[in-house]
Amino acid sequence: MTWYEPNADWTYADRRLIVTRCIGLWIFLGILMAAFLVFALLFGSGWYIGLAGVAVLGLLLTWVTYRAVTAHAWAEREDDLIVKRGRLWRSVTVVPYGRMQFVEVTAGPLARAFGLASIQLHTASPGTDASLSGVRAADAETLRDRITSRGEARLAGL
Amino acid sequence: MTSTPNPVYSAPREWTRVHPVSPYLGSGPVVGFLALYWLTRLAPSWVVGENEEYEALDRFPFLVLAGAVVVVVGAVIAFGLLSWRRNEFRIGDDAMYHRKGILFRQHRQSRLDRIEAVDVVQPIVARIFGLAQLNVQVAGGKGSGIALQYLRLGDAEALRNEILSLAAGAKLPHTVAELSGAGEPSVGPASLRDLTTNLGAAHPATAVPAAPERDVYTVPTNRLLGSVLLSTQTASVVAAAVALIVAAVIFGSVVGEAILSFIGTSLFAMVAFVVAVGGFFWNRFNGGYKFTAATSSDGLRLRHGLLETRRQTVTPGRVQAVLVSQPLLWRRFGWYRITMNVAGYYEDQERVSTLLPVGTLDEVLTALSLVLPDVTDRDPQGSLARAVTGGGDEDGFTPSPKRARLMDPWQWRRRGVLAGEHALMIRSGRLTREIVVVPHSRTQSLGVRQGPVQRMRGLATLAVHSTPGPVHPLAKNLDTNAALHLLDQQAERARAGRGSVRG
Repeated sequence: MTWYEPNADWTYADRRLIVTRCIGLWIFLGILMAAFLVFALLFGSGWYIGLAGVAVLGLLLTWVTYRAVTAHAWAEREDDLIVKRGRLWRSVTVVPYGRMQFVEVTAGPLARAFGLASIQLHTASPGTDASLSGVRAADAETLRDRITSRGEARLAGL
Repeated sequence: MTSTPNPVYSAPREWTRVHPVSPYLGSGPVVGFLALYWLTRLAPSWVVGENEEYEALDRFPFLVLAGAVVVVVGAVIAFGLLSWRRNEFRIGDDAMYHRKGILFRQHRQSRLDRIEAVDVVQPIVARIFGLAQLNVQVAGGKGSGIALQYLRLGDAEALRNEILSLAAGAKLPHTVAELSGAGEPSVGPASLRDLTTNLGAAHPATAVPAAPERDVYTVPTNRLLGSVLLSTQTASVVAAAVALIVAAVIFGSVVGEAILSFIGTSLFAMVAFVVAVGGFFWNRFNGGYKFTAATSSDGLRLRHGLLETRRQTVTPGRVQAVLVSQPLLWRRFGWYRITMNVAGYYEDQERVSTLLPVGTLDEVLTALSLVLPDVTDRDPQGSLARAVTGGGDEDGFTPSPKRARLMDPWQWRRRGVLAGEHALMIRSGRLTREIVVVPHSRTQSLGVRQGPVQRMRGLATLAVHSTPGPVHPLAKNLDTNAALHLLDQQAERARAGRGSVRG
């Protein structure tokens, strides 16, 4: 997993992100499994195979979620922010502060309940895929302000 | 006002409406749709099949139908009038303002120092009546630009000239009277009478004259025609037709009849297909017709179009990335095509993002020197020229390793990337040769990504994120360490580039 390790101070996504993502995942899977259960009770035991399939898929996706969240990290350097993400399909993105057009902090109800937030960085390019997930809500505001003020100090035109 | 010899057009400082005929100029497609409807009614039943819905209309008496038509036409006219009354614009010293909308009002303000490009577009219908559309492109997200349709050509040009000179920092007098100077009367407000007097209008006099232009290259019509006929798209259409004919000949009547019955049952599908294919060729031809690039103090001027004409002005240093490409069939003629990303162009990119529809290597180098003066190397034997024509690790490029052959059998041999002093060059494409040039100072952000198969082969893809447009700078399947090394280096070069170029 250490395929890109510049001398930077990586901040890893908060592990509580695994919980919030899995809650969302299992709510969806739970509905699916309930449907299979009803079918199994109504139409015969063949439908239990579907139920088991969904359960196995759920465990697999939970594992994937765990691996993905533990691979997600970001580091603030002097002139840019680096974000790395993913394991099977992995990526590193370097976003210069001077190129940031605006910074967006979002937090859904589930994330708020766990004290988490997401930060999305926008440049003039739609290709810039730089979002930080699983930022502690307390840190999110200060991180946003820090990024924004650095961006203003280094702002370059297009 | 038509009796005065030289009326002078100028941009309005007070709220001014667009031309009153504007709401109705766009109704061509509606008329076309109605005509198509009647055509389908007239077409014999074996073409469209029996349709109950059409029969239902025949039960109404003629007078009711005629009355309905009158009501609908009246409503359209009234609606058009209302939307025209609420479609106003003006310019100030540092911004341009536009407000429109009946129920949902929209008020837009574009700062002149953020302007990327100003285009005067004349679709054929507008051109006949001497009208034009003015598109002002501004950096700052989709929908931040202003499109005024339609103005008299003179109004559009006056507005363009004043916007560009204000954006360049010139101070202009505030009132129209001061602008137009002594003696020369200014043009009156737009009215329906212009439709007859402006027919085929030539270049009108404007209060602020256009910056002098120097033509750099013009694409000859013969070459343009050749380039469209020799495109990959032509080749595929011809290949498909040949394949069908060969199949019909070899397999005899069975396949032949099947094809004929297919064509017969879906005549309208065939028409749609022909229109789509023809549309591509037409757009290429129309967009490249008399394509002329010129330089002026306002920036790069591009003029082109046969029926729909477009005159673009791209302010200096706004080109973010360029793509030089050469389809297989153009190779023996030594032709290339250049497209570019201009910040601020979001809509209609196929039409606005061409820098050179078809040109020789010499013209390619000239065109690149216009938009990327730093990168310029006009020497036809120089590094830029060799970068365009070469492949693999020639000329100091970092190539894709041979490991990439498994997942990239066609292109790996030509892939390569070279970080020059001022720009990153990315080479790719086997049949259609492509090279992307991104100045370091225009790099938005950077990324390296790697999928599972790439990981097994020790490969990774470097992406340079540019503004929206047809050019997507991607260096695929580099050696992983080379890609990560390049990522660090590019981040550093982009930082240095931002430091040296402001704005």
